[in-house]
Amino acid sequence: MHFVTGGSYNGKAKWVREQYQVTDETIWLSAYQDHDLPENMDHHSKRIILEGIERWIKQDSQQFNAADIRASWNLRIEGFLNWEKENEDRHLIIIGNDLSKGIVPIEASDRTWRDACGWVYQDLAERADRVELIWYGINQQLK
Amino acid sequence: MEKAPIYFVTGGVRSGKSTFAEKLTTQCSQDLNRGIVYIACGRARDEEMVLRINKHQEQREQSNVSWQTREFPTDIEESVKTFDHQPVVLLDCLTTLLDNELFSANTEWSQIQASQVYDKILAGLETIQQNVSTLVIVSNEVLHEYSHFSSVQLYQRTLGLLHQEIVQRAEKAYLVESGMPVMMKGLQS
Repeated sequence: MHFVTGGSYNGKAKWVREQYQVTDETIWLSAYQDHDLPENMDHHSKRIILEGIERWIKQDSQQFNAADIRASWNLRIEGFLNWEKENEDRHLIIIGNDLSKGIVPIEASDRTWRDACGWVYQDLAERADRVELIWYGINQQLK
Repeated sequence: MEKAPIYFVTGGVRSGKSTFAEKLTTQCSQDLNRGIVYIACGRARDEEMVLRINKHQEQREQSNVSWQTREFPTDIEESVKTFDHQPVVLLDCLTTLLDNELFSANTEWSQIQASQVYDKILAGLETIQQNVSTLVIVSNEVLHEYSHFSSVQLYQRTLGLLHQEIVQRAEKAYLVESGMPVMMKGLQS
């Protein structure tokens, strides 16, 4: 599992497209295209890219508190890693927008969203084999 | 025409990015033996802004080199008419310029206008590049927070795309954190 993060409009998806071979067999699921987060991983594909996970986390923040969101994402991450382990050709790349450096949002649900994102990103980074920070198209490998 | 190198400097509010950019500019001016032109994009709209501008002006006056200040809140390409002997130019800052260009249109922001402003700013920078020995560009890190306002999202998107393009064109790019410049692109001199 690789995790790619950075500020918005920093060229994260562009970098991923250039860095990884994106073929017809690659499943690219984007929250910006209103794709749903897969509850069960697609067993036929070898490479899955999840773009804009902060949007999926945002959906959770309408109903749940940040700690519960973190816990449910931990289960998801577990599922991701198990899927990868079943076949060594399998590879998951997750792209998430960093929302952590602004002023405190007025809306409570936005604060929940931001908190949950920060926690989920920490957990993703800890479990990922590789973590990349993208800054205007330039990558910095953090792990 | 030959294009001068671009040095891109960014950072958070009060990160010391302008101070670092001023040092970088002074160094270039001494190395190349050229004068310095400071292109100020900020409009002194209120007292706080005046204080901020004065503080940076004082800092520049205290340095040994002479700084010529030119105010261009919009239409930066016009500044080249005032240049003499390909100076080293410091443009401070891109976020304010984008703000002014988008707002001076004085109408509802749209995707089309934003992309026109994007083209205009890049063309303006290119014109400056052809008339200077080095172009130092200062900007802000404002893309790490979500806004529900579509106008802010459009502003962020345009700024992000400008940053990506400028970093690609730049010879050197720095991210300043608490006064410490981190070189993100280029060779350490």
